[in-house]
Amino acid sequence: MIRYILKRLAMLVPVLFGVTLVSFSLLQIVPGDPAVLLAGEDANPDFIEAVRKEYGFDQPLHVQYLRFVARAVQGDFGISIRNRQPVIHLLLQRFSFTVQLSFLSILIAAAIGLIAGVISATRQYSIFDHASMVGALFGISLPIFWLGLLLMLVFSVHLRWFPAGGSGELRHLVLPAIALGAASAAVIARMTRASMLEVIRQDYIRTARANGLRETVVIYKHALKNAMIPVITVFGLEFGYMLGGAVLTETVFSLPGVGRLMVEGIFQRDYAVVQGAMLLVATTFVLVNLLTDIAYALFDPKIRYE
Amino acid sequence: MKRSLLWLPLLLAALVAFGAGEASAQTVIYAAGADPDSLDPPNAESNPSEAVNRMIYENLVKFDSKLNLVPGLAERWEQAPDGLSWTFHLRKGVNFHDGTPFNAEAVKYFVERMLGPEKPSRAALYTPFVESVTVVDPYTVRMNLKTPFAFFLNNLAHSASGIGSPAAHKALGKDIARKPVGTGPFKFVEWVHGDHLTLARNEAYWGGKPKLEKIVVKTVKEDAARVMMLQSGDAHLAVRLPAEDILRLEKDPRIQLDSTETLRVLYVGFNCQKKPFSDVRVRQAFNLATDRESIVRNLYRGRALAASNIVAPRTTGYVPLPAHPYDPEKAKKLLAEAGYPNGLKARFISPMGRYPKDYEMAQALQQQWKQAGIEVSLGTMEWAAYLAATRKPVDQTEVEIFLLGWAPSSAEARWILYPLYHTEQWVPKGNNRTFYSNKEFDDYVDKLTKAAVQAERDRYLKLAQEILHREVPQIPILVTKETIGYTKKLKGVINSPLELTYFDHNTQLEK
Repeated sequence: MIRYILKRLAMLVPVLFGVTLVSFSLLQIVPGDPAVLLAGEDANPDFIEAVRKEYGFDQPLHVQYLRFVARAVQGDFGISIRNRQPVIHLLLQRFSFTVQLSFLSILIAAAIGLIAGVISATRQYSIFDHASMVGALFGISLPIFWLGLLLMLVFSVHLRWFPAGGSGELRHLVLPAIALGAASAAVIARMTRASMLEVIRQDYIRTARANGLRETVVIYKHALKNAMIPVITVFGLEFGYMLGGAVLTETVFSLPGVGRLMVEGIFQRDYAVVQGAMLLVATTFVLVNLLTDIAYALFDPKIRYE
Repeated sequence: MKRSLLWLPLLLAALVAFGAGEASAQTVIYAAGADPDSLDPPNAESNPSEAVNRMIYENLVKFDSKLNLVPGLAERWEQAPDGLSWTFHLRKGVNFHDGTPFNAEAVKYFVERMLGPEKPSRAALYTPFVESVTVVDPYTVRMNLKTPFAFFLNNLAHSASGIGSPAAHKALGKDIARKPVGTGPFKFVEWVHGDHLTLARNEAYWGGKPKLEKIVVKTVKEDAARVMMLQSGDAHLAVRLPAEDILRLEKDPRIQLDSTETLRVLYVGFNCQKKPFSDVRVRQAFNLATDRESIVRNLYRGRALAASNIVAPRTTGYVPLPAHPYDPEKAKKLLAEAGYPNGLKARFISPMGRYPKDYEMAQALQQQWKQAGIEVSLGTMEWAAYLAATRKPVDQTEVEIFLLGWAPSSAEARWILYPLYHTEQWVPKGNNRTFYSNKEFDDYVDKLTKAAVQAERDRYLKLAQEILHREVPQIPILVTKETIGYTKKLKGVINSPLELTYFDHNTQLEK
């Protein structure tokens, strides 16, 4: 197991190298000059030149790339051209925020998704089943910015239960976590239902019931645990995406997360920020996948990593 | 099963409990549309930065709400008869937020920083004009100019001329952009990038203790979210309100709306070095085929002003010129005279979302021009690519017709006429994206720049603007209005025509 984990971690190195190469090339292909953009419509040519020099944009591309890699290896991701702060500082600040939002969202998504999925499966074709599956369809289909604005209109403007935007306290995170978690809850619910339906028809479930076990124990201990493998996969993917930043949710609710940092970085041609954020997101995604794989073994002892 | 479902509403109820909570009554929450970039005035390049800097820093000379020049940190000043030096008598008893006294040395330090090797982004406000600075006595400072400059005071009133503490700049260097120290009514507390920026009142402010205790400037990118924060009371003030929501906000009795006519003119520019746009008749044809009133009425619902001049009415040096008529038939005739009896085809590009309703306006123009037989293909690009495309030198550019906006941040007409139309200023060196070149015009601009007497300055201003009105290297479409909204409890908000919304020591929040 340990060896397996180490091997997977070692694979991060080529992945991250690939990410730097792709993100660097993409940023160079896109038209637009960061210095010109910073200077705006009424640009001052001297200033543009000075900025190019300061950030090394006047150097040949391969020099820029190698310089970036050499620094990144030492944990220095450069300085943001837009707000002149070290990128590492921005990333840490934003990432801690994204982690909070992601945890709350996945918690809500898992709670709603698992419960709805299990009930739908155990009472197949009941009113509850139909209702929750229609709900899931909505959850997947609703555009997140629309749902976000709707939640804000109802719970902030009319009911005044939660603030309409901003960050700092838990209450600021509730509406965004619901908006962000809705689609994941829907996916988890559908996956749980499908997987449970398959499991509860298995012989060992019938055996468990024949043994006189209570229905709750049968469902939650024997059936659900075995139905979890595909659910964990979805769970891992959804969580991975959330940690990669939720730009729409962050924009609608004015939250300072990684997603907005990266997208604004792209629009502002803030190369250092975009590259740093891409590395961070790639690393997180790989790690979440690894954790998902380890979680398989916890739920299903048949799975062994040698 | 039932038990497991029970905790869900409980969780929601617990979360709602967090929802209750009010900000302190003396704290004002200001919802801005974007993050500031730099809190160092000479390096600030965006309106959100400038608005915040106006609260932290002060200038020797400042703009009042009508853009008149009034005393700021200088109580009075005089200009030498030859126009080559200005003497400023400074206000006494003013201190920077870090305790450093404000005096002639601080002014000298600031101006020399602008002229020196650091090359701040706004250095061009000083470098072409200022030769040196002399400290006459601790509260008198003299600026010696290389040449007389008619709008020198406007440059001193520009946001970039907010004077910072020399001690803080010596200690922090470039980090001053994140830890600003000025003399203004509010001092810096913290800046969490992408989230909010906090200012607290400067208890020792020379103009009297500011009434607001704390200001939190939140970055709220989404337009609809800013509106909702205003309605829900999560923000006391929101800027850059979208036109779609203004009607709804007008009905809200708690909210005060304020539309201020800005100095920004949205215009359509032509590549004047390229056929057929090098022919003034062709450009005039576009102009005659443009129905500004319809755009203002239907697209902007009156929250804009049809323009006949690239200089907006509130700009110092504005000359009223006759409105451009809408006459598609005459446009056709001019095209025929120019050799295009069957109309012409061209490429037109517009940004999307940079200015209020920019792309929609471009679409409207496309339709209007069709009436005169002009077929334009309309393209858009994201802002960075757009700036890059309109900055290519004349021998490489592919741009034919483009839409842009321009506002002089020093509030005077030269900041429009020189950078946009003078031959020296062709992109990429300057900002003349139309590649317009006219010796007579250049000469008037040079003369008005160096005019030591105001009457002379105004004469050349008029001549230069008349040439543009005749030759239309660009067609001005409209002057924008900036609409902000705030709770009626907030009194004394400054919504400047420079597209800056800020507070001063008299702004207050009633209970």
